[in-house]
Amino acid sequence: MSKFKQIADFGQKLMALEDMDDVLKLISQEAKTLIDAQRCSIFIVDKENQILWTKLSDGISRIVVSLDNGIVGDTYQKQKPQIVNSPYTDDRFLHSIDKKSGFETKNIITVPIFDSARNIIGVIELLNKARFDFDEKDLSSLTFFANYVSGSLELILMGEK
Amino acid sequence: MKYADTYSKLADFGRELLNKKSLVEGLPLISKYVKDVIHADRCSIFIYDTQDKELWTTIADGIEKIVVSSESGLVGHTIEVKKPIIENNPYDNPLFLKEIDIQTGYKTKNIVTAPIFDSQRKIIGVLELLNKEDGFDNEDVKFMIFFAHYISGFLELTNLYMLENIKSDA
Repeated sequence: MSKFKQIADFGQKLMALEDMDDVLKLISQEAKTLIDAQRCSIFIVDKENQILWTKLSDGISRIVVSLDNGIVGDTYQKQKPQIVNSPYTDDRFLHSIDKKSGFETKNIITVPIFDSARNIIGVIELLNKARFDFDEKDLSSLTFFANYVSGSLELILMGEK
Repeated sequence: MKYADTYSKLADFGRELLNKKSLVEGLPLISKYVKDVIHADRCSIFIYDTQDKELWTTIADGIEKIVVSSESGLVGHTIEVKKPIIENNPYDNPLFLKEIDIQTGYKTKNIVTAPIFDSQRKIIGVLELLNKEDGFDNEDVKFMIFFAHYISGFLELTNLYMLENIKSDA
């Protein structure tokens, strides 16, 4: 099955969901399959409290970081995707999260999710690509993917307010 | 909020749209939907082919392609400024192409446009609505921006689909 057919099928499944938890779970699952990474977290921006948060998923407990903290925070600040293939030598990397979870992060890719007004509403983060490092091709696939899911995410976040 | 109820029902439209496998099937659905929601008389979706720098649209049946200039008119201007345009007095606007009304015999009373961006922030199309009874307002534009973004994933994916098919045919 082609990648594009796969995304179209995913889109249909996504539209059928109404619950925020299910939506985030499905997006995570699809992002991992698309890029072939081990873990995915979808961070949602909470401007009022100046944080980015995730739901419990994929065996990872809920993560909360401030808007200017870590590689995810930096993605928010710079409004640009980040590829970090040696996190332990990157000053922005938050070792504490690995320590807490016992998971060893080998490489990271992040992309911002923009709403229709061009505000960042979230950040998709993938960890540990199965083989090799994250590259430009992953970046363009994930950028496309972030835009593809952004409409649904914006809509569902509007409903939560 | 004028469109509050519409937003809550938009996912139903989204489900229907994603059942369409191609632009040709999807465009008439998009047109009809946005026209009904905003209460405009007509809707055109212009697709911007960045490879050929060509702007095209389809007539009502969604099949016949019409190529239009991407450098003139209010639609061309939308591409240039990358922003929506409201024009409630088109005949006073030098950018408006009166020739089209003369050719078609359709009298344009007011116009609203919104650019459609892909994930790389390149313009892949323009949404245009014509003739709302009391003219278009900012709430209409806000909905158009939201809607243009909402359908952009579908448009980008079908574009990629077409490119992939062309490649695999070659």
